[in-house]
Amino acid sequence: MRESILSVRNITKTYPGVVALNDVSMTFEKGEIHALLGENGAGKSTLIKVISGAIQPDSGSILFGEKEFTKMSPGSARENGVAVIYQEFSLVEALSVAQNVFLGEKRGLLVDNKDVQKRAAEIFKEMNVSMDPAAQVRKLSPAKKQLVEIAKAISSDARILIMDEPSAPLSASEVETMFEIIGKLKSQGVTIIYISHRIEELFRISDRVTVMRDGRYVDTLITRSTNRKELIDLMVGRELKEYYPRRSNAPGEVVMEVKNLSGLGDENISFSVRKGEILGVAGLVGSGRTELASIIYGAVPKDGGETWIDGKKREIHSPDHALKYGIGLIPEDRKHHGCIMYASVKFNIVLSVFNKTARFFMVDSKAQNKTALYYKEKFNIKTPSLEQKVINLSGGNQQKVILAKTLAANTNILIFDEPTRGIDVGSKQEIYNLMIDLVNQGKSILMISSEMEELLGMSDRLIVLCEGRFMGELPREEFDQRHVIELASGHH
Amino acid sequence: MKINLRGLQKYAVMFILIILMVLFSFSSPYFLTIRNLTNIITQNTYFIILAIGLSFVMIGGGIDLSVGWQMSLVGVVTAMCMTLYHLPVWLAILIGILLGTLLGFFNGMIVANIKVFPLIVTIATSTVFQGISYIISQARTYRSYPDQFLFIAKGNVLGIPFDVLLTILIVLFASFIYYKTSYGWNVLALGGNEEAARLAGIKTKAMKISVYTVCGFFTAVAALVMIAKANTTNSSFGPGTEFTALTAAIVGGISFMGGEGNMLGLVTGVFILAVLGNGMQLAGWGTYAQYIVKGIILLGAVSFDELQKNARRTRRKPVMPITPLKGDMEK
Repeated sequence: MRESILSVRNITKTYPGVVALNDVSMTFEKGEIHALLGENGAGKSTLIKVISGAIQPDSGSILFGEKEFTKMSPGSARENGVAVIYQEFSLVEALSVAQNVFLGEKRGLLVDNKDVQKRAAEIFKEMNVSMDPAAQVRKLSPAKKQLVEIAKAISSDARILIMDEPSAPLSASEVETMFEIIGKLKSQGVTIIYISHRIEELFRISDRVTVMRDGRYVDTLITRSTNRKELIDLMVGRELKEYYPRRSNAPGEVVMEVKNLSGLGDENISFSVRKGEILGVAGLVGSGRTELASIIYGAVPKDGGETWIDGKKREIHSPDHALKYGIGLIPEDRKHHGCIMYASVKFNIVLSVFNKTARFFMVDSKAQNKTALYYKEKFNIKTPSLEQKVINLSGGNQQKVILAKTLAANTNILIFDEPTRGIDVGSKQEIYNLMIDLVNQGKSILMISSEMEELLGMSDRLIVLCEGRFMGELPREEFDQRHVIELASGHH
Repeated sequence: MKINLRGLQKYAVMFILIILMVLFSFSSPYFLTIRNLTNIITQNTYFIILAIGLSFVMIGGGIDLSVGWQMSLVGVVTAMCMTLYHLPVWLAILIGILLGTLLGFFNGMIVANIKVFPLIVTIATSTVFQGISYIISQARTYRSYPDQFLFIAKGNVLGIPFDVLLTILIVLFASFIYYKTSYGWNVLALGGNEEAARLAGIKTKAMKISVYTVCGFFTAVAALVMIAKANTTNSSFGPGTEFTALTAAIVGGISFMGGEGNMLGLVTGVFILAVLGNGMQLAGWGTYAQYIVKGIILLGAVSFDELQKNARRTRRKPVMPITPLKGDMEK
C-alpha cells in the first residue's frame, strides 16, 4: 500500500434540482498520475472544486494525510499543496511570464524583476522547455500559457497538481512535451490528478483511473490492466454499439467547389464537396481549418479565391450571403458563436429565418413556433419547453439547437466545426446519427475535427491541412491514421 | 444557484414601488393625494420616453450617455425655430425630431464602425453635443412658445393629458416592436450575442446604427415634451436626464449587458425613482440627499444585474428549472 496524500470521504454536493456529487469517496496516492474519467456532468469538475476549496460540500470530508477538513477554502487548499490548472487559464495576460509564475508569492513591497526572472528561468530549465521569462503572457500560445501555469504550480511547491483537460488546446508534439513534464513531476513525488476526455491519453500516462458517472463514484482501475472498451462501458453504464453509424448512400455530383481560397493565413486551398458526402478536414491546432470555414462562410473577408455552388460562381462576403446560397456553419465555439445563451430555445432555432418569414416587419409567430417544435421533436431536443433558455441545456442539446437553427435556414452544405467537442459520449452518438441522416437526405457535410477516430469513422473523404496549406486528399479506402498525422505535421 | 432572479426581479420592482408608496404615505399626509400622484405621473412622462429610447440601445447591447446633451441640443434648436425664427410649430417639431434622429445616427455610425466601447464614444459625443448646443443657443434662454406647441404639455385628449397619452402610446408601441416585429427580435439578438447574430445572417452593423438612431428619435420626442412642460429652455436643460433614464432602465430589469428587458419593468423603474424623489422632497430631505440615494440605487441595480448573470454563468450542470422560465420574447 502506497502512501495516501489526499482522500475524499462521502462527499455530497447538491444544487437545487440536481445532485452534483453523491456520496463520493476516493483516495489519491503520493506520486501517482491518477486520471478522472466521466461524461460531462459526471461530477469531475465539481469534485475538483471541492478539493481546491472553490466550493463547499454539503457533507463529507477531505483528508490531507492525517488532517481532516469538512470544508476547504482556496487558501487552505493551497497551503496543503493543491494547485489546479483549469481549462481557462488563470494568468494575468498583461504581466510577464516570470511575474505570473511568482504571482501568489508572499513578498515585500518591492519586486526584484531580475531575480524573479532568474528564478523563473531556473524552473523552466528544470522543466526542460524554452521560455522567455520576460515575455508578456498575452503574446504566448495556449501551449506556452499552460507551461507557465505548470511553472506556477511548481513555484508554489504544489504536491497535488490537478489538470482539467490539459491536452485540449495542444498539438500532438506539445502534448508530448507536457507528458514529459508531468512524468518528471511524478518522479519528484508530485501527485497528478488528470482529467481528460481523450481515453488514449490516459493509457499513455496514468497509473490509475477513476470513473465517475452521474455524480457518483463508479470504480478505480489500474490503468494497465484495463482497456478502452471497459472504461467506456463504465462511463456510460451501458454497452455502446455502432459508434459510427454506417450508411449506404453513395456521394453524388459536386455541389460546392472552392478554388484557390486564401485568407487568414490559409493559402490557395482548393477542394470540392459532393452531394450526400461527409468531407473530413484534418489538421493540427493552428493548421487553418476553422479559418477556412470562416472564409467559406463569409464570416471574415478573404484575400482571394472563388467559391462555386452547384456549378455557379458565387460571391460570399457575409454570413447572410452564405445562408442564401445554402451554406450553414455549426461553429466550434457554441457559447460565443453558435447561439444566444440567454435567449430561448425557440428564439435560437428561428434566429436565421424570422427575418425572412416576416411580413411588413411582423414576425410570423405561428410559423416560428411550428419550426421550433418541428426541430425539437425531430432532433429530440431535451428541454422542458421551447421557452427554456439555451444556457440551461446540456452541451449535446445546445448543439442540436444550433443544428436546428442552421437547417431551418434551408441549408444544404453544412460546415461542422468540431461537432462533438465537449459533448458527452451518449450525445455524441446522437449527433453522429443526425449527421448521417442529413447526408442520407442528400445534404453535404464539411466536418472539421481534431478527433482522429471521428474523422476516420465518419468521413467519406479526408482533406488534410498544415499551417494553412493543403497537404492532400485521401479517399476512404486509403484512410490510415499514421498517414493523416504525417500529412498534418507537414510530411508528404 | 437555482433561483430565477430575473423572474423575481419582475415582481420585485413592482413590489418595491408599492412598499415605497406605503412608506412615503406615512411620512407625509400629502403624498397619497390624487394631486400629488398626478404630478408624479405628468412630471415623468419625458423620462419614460427617454428611457424607452435608451432601452433600444441597451437591449441591443450598447449604452448611450449622450442622450442628455442630445436633449439639450434638440431643445434649444426647436425653441429657437419657434421663438427666434417664428417657423410654424409643425416644422419646428419636425426639425427637432430630425435633428435628434441624426444625432443618434451619428452615434450609431461611430459605435458600429470604430470598435470602441460605446460608453467612451458617447461620453465623447456628448461633449461635442454640449459644445454645439451652447454655440447655437449662445447661452441664451428661449421661452414662451406658441399655444399649439404647449398643447403637448397642457392639452387634453379624452380627459387625459396629451403627454401622458403620448407616453402610453409610445410604451405600447415599443412593447409591440420588441415582441411582435422582426426589428425587435433583431435588437434582442444583437444584444444577446452580437457574433452569433451576425453568423446567423443578421445584419448586425446596420442594426447597431439603427438602435442608436431610434434612441435619438425618442430622445428628441422626450426633449420636446420637456421644453413644452417648462415653456422655456436653454442649453442646461437635458443633461442629467441620461442618468435618471439609465438608472430607471436598469432598475426596471433592462440588462446592462443587453438582450433582455420589458417595457412594463422600465416604466416601473422610472416611477420608483420618481416616487423616491417626490417622497424624499415631501419628507424634507432636499435634492442633494436624493442624488446619494439615486447613486446607491444605480449601484444596487447594476450589482443585481451582474449577480444574476453570474449566477447563470457559473451554473455547472444543466439544471431543470422547478418552474419553466418564461421566455422574454413572448408575453
